[in-house]
Amino acid sequence: MQIFSCPFCGPRDEREFHYVAEAGKTRPDTTQSISDAEWATYLYAQRNEKGAVREVWMHMTCAELFLMERDSVTMEVLRTQGLREGDQ
Amino acid sequence: MRDDRHRWPATADFNAPIDLGSATLTPVPLTRQTLVSGPDVRAQINQALIGWPDIVENDSYAIACRRDRIMRINGPDAREGWDAANNQAISDASDAYAVFDLTGTDAMDLLKRGAEISLQSPSKSVARILFGLGVFLYRVGDKVFRLHVARCDADALVGLLKSAGKSGRSD
Amino acid sequence: MTSFRADYGGLIDRSRELKFSFDGKPYQGFAGDTLASALLANGVRVVGRSFKYHRPRGVWSAWVDEPNAIMAVTLNGRELPNCLATTTMLEDGMQVRSVNAWPSAAFDLKGGLDIFHRWLCAGFYYKTFIWPNWHMFEPAIRKMAGLGSVSTDVIDDYVSDQIHEHCDVLVVGAGAAGLVAARTAAEAGHKVVLADDHHAPGGSLYQVDRVEGRAPQDWIDEQVTALQAAGGRLLCSSTAFGVYDHGLVGLIECGHFATAPRLWRLRCARVVLATGALDRPMTFADNDKPGVMSLFGAAELLARYGVVPGREIALISNHSLFKNAVQQLESAGAKVRVLEASTTALQARGRKVLSGVSVDGQHYQADALLVSAGLTPLVHLWCHAGGKLQWCEQRQTFLPGAPPAQMTAIGAANGTFDLAAALDEARAAGSGQSASRSDAAVQFTPHWPAPNSTGRQWIDFQHDVTLKDIELAARENYVSVEHLKRYTTLGMAADQGKTSNMAGLAAMATIQGVDIPHVGTTAFRPPFVPVPLEAYHGHHTKSHYHPVKRLVLEPQHRAANAALCEYGGWLRPGWYGSGERDAIIQVEAKMARDSAGILDASPLGKIEVMGPDAEDFVNFVYYNSVGNLKPGHIRYGFMLSESGFVFDDGVISRVDQHKFVISCSSSHVDSVRNHLESWRQDGNDPARIFVHDMTQQWATVTVTGPKAREILASLDLGIDLAADAFPHMTFREADYQASSVRVARVSFTGDTSFEVSIRASRAPLLWNTLLAAAAPLGGGPIGIEALSILRTEKGYIMVGKDMDGETMPHDLGFGGPREKKNTAFVGDRSLHGAMANERDRKTLVGLTVADGAPPLPIGAHAISETSSPRSIGYVTSSYQSPNLGRPVALGLIENGHDRIGESIHIRHREQFRSATIAPVCAFDPQGARLNA
Repeated sequence: MQIFSCPFCGPRDEREFHYVAEAGKTRPDTTQSISDAEWATYLYAQRNEKGAVREVWMHMTCAELFLMERDSVTMEVLRTQGLREGDQ
Repeated sequence: MRDDRHRWPATADFNAPIDLGSATLTPVPLTRQTLVSGPDVRAQINQALIGWPDIVENDSYAIACRRDRIMRINGPDAREGWDAANNQAISDASDAYAVFDLTGTDAMDLLKRGAEISLQSPSKSVARILFGLGVFLYRVGDKVFRLHVARCDADALVGLLKSAGKSGRSD
Repeated sequence: MTSFRADYGGLIDRSRELKFSFDGKPYQGFAGDTLASALLANGVRVVGRSFKYHRPRGVWSAWVDEPNAIMAVTLNGRELPNCLATTTMLEDGMQVRSVNAWPSAAFDLKGGLDIFHRWLCAGFYYKTFIWPNWHMFEPAIRKMAGLGSVSTDVIDDYVSDQIHEHCDVLVVGAGAAGLVAARTAAEAGHKVVLADDHHAPGGSLYQVDRVEGRAPQDWIDEQVTALQAAGGRLLCSSTAFGVYDHGLVGLIECGHFATAPRLWRLRCARVVLATGALDRPMTFADNDKPGVMSLFGAAELLARYGVVPGREIALISNHSLFKNAVQQLESAGAKVRVLEASTTALQARGRKVLSGVSVDGQHYQADALLVSAGLTPLVHLWCHAGGKLQWCEQRQTFLPGAPPAQMTAIGAANGTFDLAAALDEARAAGSGQSASRSDAAVQFTPHWPAPNSTGRQWIDFQHDVTLKDIELAARENYVSVEHLKRYTTLGMAADQGKTSNMAGLAAMATIQGVDIPHVGTTAFRPPFVPVPLEAYHGHHTKSHYHPVKRLVLEPQHRAANAALCEYGGWLRPGWYGSGERDAIIQVEAKMARDSAGILDASPLGKIEVMGPDAEDFVNFVYYNSVGNLKPGHIRYGFMLSESGFVFDDGVISRVDQHKFVISCSSSHVDSVRNHLESWRQDGNDPARIFVHDMTQQWATVTVTGPKAREILASLDLGIDLAADAFPHMTFREADYQASSVRVARVSFTGDTSFEVSIRASRAPLLWNTLLAAAAPLGGGPIGIEALSILRTEKGYIMVGKDMDGETMPHDLGFGGPREKKNTAFVGDRSLHGAMANERDRKTLVGLTVADGAPPLPIGAHAISETSSPRSIGYVTSSYQSPNLGRPVALGLIENGHDRIGESIHIRHREQFRSATIAPVCAFDPQGARLNA
């Protein structure tokens, strides 16, 4: 059972968290014309990296969405950061 | 659908202390619970703002739920809705949560059965998952813990606490 | 006393005799005995039969590595299968049965199976029972194989306690090294937990005469006292069974027999492994004969339980660590003969139990043969944590290599078998220093299985895997350890190869002519010992497993004799009354159309969205436009996923410019709230939008039917209820008995309906008042089942029921926003992809049946009329309508909207029906009643 650190609440165990998405995707402006391929990439393309990953997680108890960098092999948490804190 | 009326004991009317074996759970009648959200709400509040493991000292206080949300306890009767002057969203939550005090020398031991929690691990917020259920958990005394649980989950939480209370001490 | 019990020594209490029986025969043991020690003390040699060949088997060891002594134990009516006799503490009155043996271990009717061993090799079943089909043979074979059988009785209060704890240093194993490491760490000010799986600490120290000049018990007591004085905690009878992410160690703490163990989830900043080492069996002909025992197992049985394994003992080992054991055994009155031998020239003799041993043709009489082919450090937890192993030629074993984060191994677990050196390591580890491993003081001669030798030589005792099976696997090219394991089942029994893995790997290495490290080991995975599933689920069992959400009005429903059923996680009234269910539901559905139905709709979501950007946000998360929704008005709409699929439906009420209330599906509140939070924070400005889920604050009572207005009037709310003053899809706020209420004119029945929401604590008053007003008008409470009929009559969908994971709003007849909405919304682009435009999408339609025909089965498939029929859709809702006097049904049918009036075939199992595609709404299609 892993320990994640919510940027607001601090460290809590993984049962309080939910994975949301890989970080770094931007929703295309759907009021403009978007190709099928572009939209499909937004919906379905995942990097699924081995090693350091950047993901968006939700701390279910306080509903905070945050960025987490972790190692998908060792499960080490490298960094967590509020979605609007510092660089993104 | 299957008739399960006999499978689930009737929902309890929580108005008397509940013996949990190793601790006691006492329902707490609060005058008012008010959910207040806003970008600056933590700074705007004039009541003591409680996190973990802070101890409540007054009858009227506020608990920190999120980065931008608090719940005022026994605060003033505020108008619900969007308060544009203060940039606050306000909802009366007085009936949304059942509130209990957990007392007894084994109270902390009992909480440790439902969550990875310790007094040495502080948190800005009092929102937690305890025995799989969302709660607000904080202290109103050195060994007195206050729990707010969604009304619909109160029976489940009490049942789980009773079950865990039977386990006795762990040392 | 029996002649196999020493007169002194051990941790047993000779003044407390305990009675027990084994295979029906009565025996006595002492408090402090294990089942195995008590049986051995009584001279019982055959304690079970082997898994496959039903060979007689005796006790091999003294603790968790025991492969043979597995028993079914009953005490006070509680029966547990597959108890390990070496770790089960004896209790008075235990009835013990050997497993895989009938009528007894000593005389087993299936013992004759052993003569067919030539044909029962590895892969025998795969190769033999292939025609006509394995499943024909499987039941009989499964019955014949295996160990104990599970009792059908449920042990009532077998509920595992679970506790979360944390510490600075966890020391696993309270032997010499563990005790010293724990004491040192505690005295340095750390929060220390010392865990040991025995009920008394000390590890193998009871085998020696002196520890640092003191008697073992005194020395152990001193360490424990010092540890506890420094604030350390000793957890006995507690096995660390697994290491998990971020320093979490799982431990099970065992109590009395047949009580559920306690699970510790211990979060450790640092872990010191002082888990010791296990004795390895030797591989020689008939090495499974009862009487062949682990050297250190026997020494431990003598040290802890005062049990002497035999009177005339032969001993063979590949190292010099046996001298102390010989001395202790001789002091206890046994004759010990130390033999030198290679495995190829060694054979155990005796019919059922050991009577002697042949070495190089020379025969020696012996009633016990103690063997040790080396020591294997217990590195399971090391490997769980991601630690590496390295081969040590000097010690002929794998040792802890590159360490995992925050873990140290000391003592025998680290290959340091010398006591003084182990204590040095312990002191270093306890004070947080890393110690380098000293050179081995003892030489281990390589002593491994020798392929192509004669006789049957056991590698895995618990799964009956022999050296020949390994050779066969190699011939058939199952040479990778992972393949070898699965082909021969080597190491796959409950002991997970504690005694067998090393011999198996070594045999494969020899056969292939490679080094042992080249063959490698299989992965070590938790749990180290079998852990009951109860330990994992803890208190979350029975009614606590998935507790239902409870209505504030439940006492009122129970008083009204409601059948309470689970709908979307809530315990809600399905119908009222205890008579014939279907008849009651028909009556309720008819009453609601003829007069009025009163429904507890409290679980309906009440999520408030507030703030300056609330309008834009709601407009973005909803398929339907809300920008033009005026305060006091309500709109029905869908929330979609980005893939364009319907995620939820519900109504949106606009309270004022900056506040909306989203009324989502009852079972969907949590997921909708999280969906909104995700979009609020990721993609919008969270300082300008706030989402309050106030579902629990409010209770909602729905009044529906032609008499609804009259009933609502009884509340005297001061609202003009006239149809034109208070039209459909608007709401009003008012006061009722000093509480504010919100009255919404929305309808899930197609009749005039009012949803009245009030703070939860005032709901009983509201409910009772409405029921009292309804009764004289012929109205009354209705449950969810009746509501489902009313809903289906109107063609109103229920999310999750009348749709599937690919349903888009236009499939449900709501195509407007897809064509017209010009602002961005979640899922918008997906509604214009190739899939969204397919002609044959499954769309929602009504289905009618021929006059007099019964309702269609829900879930029945519509079948194409092609040469090879395929499913073209299915029935989603289907009921007998008491208001139309015929069945009504909804279904998702390919291109259904364009096929109204067509007849289709419906198939359910072997039942064939026909139905006609119809518009979704079967009742009051003009909506006259809705707006009345």
